[in-house]
Amino acid sequence: MEHEAPILENAFGIPWLDFNLSNVFMVIVTTLIVLVLTILGARKLQMKPKGVQNFMEWILEFVRGLISDSMDWKMAKVFLPLGLALITYILTANLLGVITMVSVGDTLWWKSPTSDPGITLSLAVFVILLSHYYGIKVKGTKKYLKSYFQPYPVFLPINLIEEFANTLTLGLRLFGNIYAGEVLLGLLVSLMMHTNALGFVGGAIPMLAWQGFSIFIGGIQAYIFTMLTMVYISHKISSEH
Amino acid sequence: MALLAAAIAIGLAAVGAGIGNGLIVGRTIEGIARQPELKSQLQGTMFLGIGLVEALPIIAVVVALLDMFVFR
Repeated sequence: MEHEAPILENAFGIPWLDFNLSNVFMVIVTTLIVLVLTILGARKLQMKPKGVQNFMEWILEFVRGLISDSMDWKMAKVFLPLGLALITYILTANLLGVITMVSVGDTLWWKSPTSDPGITLSLAVFVILLSHYYGIKVKGTKKYLKSYFQPYPVFLPINLIEEFANTLTLGLRLFGNIYAGEVLLGLLVSLMMHTNALGFVGGAIPMLAWQGFSIFIGGIQAYIFTMLTMVYISHKISSEH
Repeated sequence: MALLAAAIAIGLAAVGAGIGNGLIVGRTIEGIARQPELKSQLQGTMFLGIGLVEALPIIAVVVALLDMFVFR
């Protein structure tokens, strides 16, 4: 497509280390936005919340419901900050690319960070590694290794493939949804801007509809990512079979 | 050729997503009709199910886009 990516090749002289500077920039922007919103939501705590504090309390209740659906709450209290961080981060990241996309010259600088497969796969690998870590920590190494042979030892390759499949689909689901949405947004913009006046008028309503739909999909994908994180962690740490 | 491959990929992805989502939403409507007080819980589970089922068709969309814009 017409948008190039600003890639910094061979950073620090290491031959395989390339950074996509647009990703670095957008990840920093997303982190700053989430940080500012949550700090604003938590200052001057009042018993009757209003404004941003109300919104933060609603998100916390939502994540708490999400966690207690998959795991027993006493064991799972520690995962509330993880769930909150994941859902706010992914929601903000998904929404940033819907509002606007900015390219300077020929390179694309402002987009959703989650429209890059590297970022979503990194999140998925991080979450799956975390679930393995908690599995070993809560159940002990022997029981964790034995769980690969449940219910019958012949299931071992299936359990191993399940780990890889979970990681890949968790990452690629988020990437695919956001990337496809962004490509279509770009195509609609080029319909409106780079063809004649009929294209402009005809493309206005689909553009509005598609932006609305992308906001909805961004929310749903953040919810699904967080919910699946909790489900995978609960599979590793609960042992009532 | 690349356009034909992209069209086949998207077409099959649409069939898969359509049938899968249709089954999920149909069963959800049946469930709501049986027990209207569980409406919001069933709806939440429905959205989760749709997100899961649409994962592979969306990956097929990405493959089709890749095919259209990277190969001649």
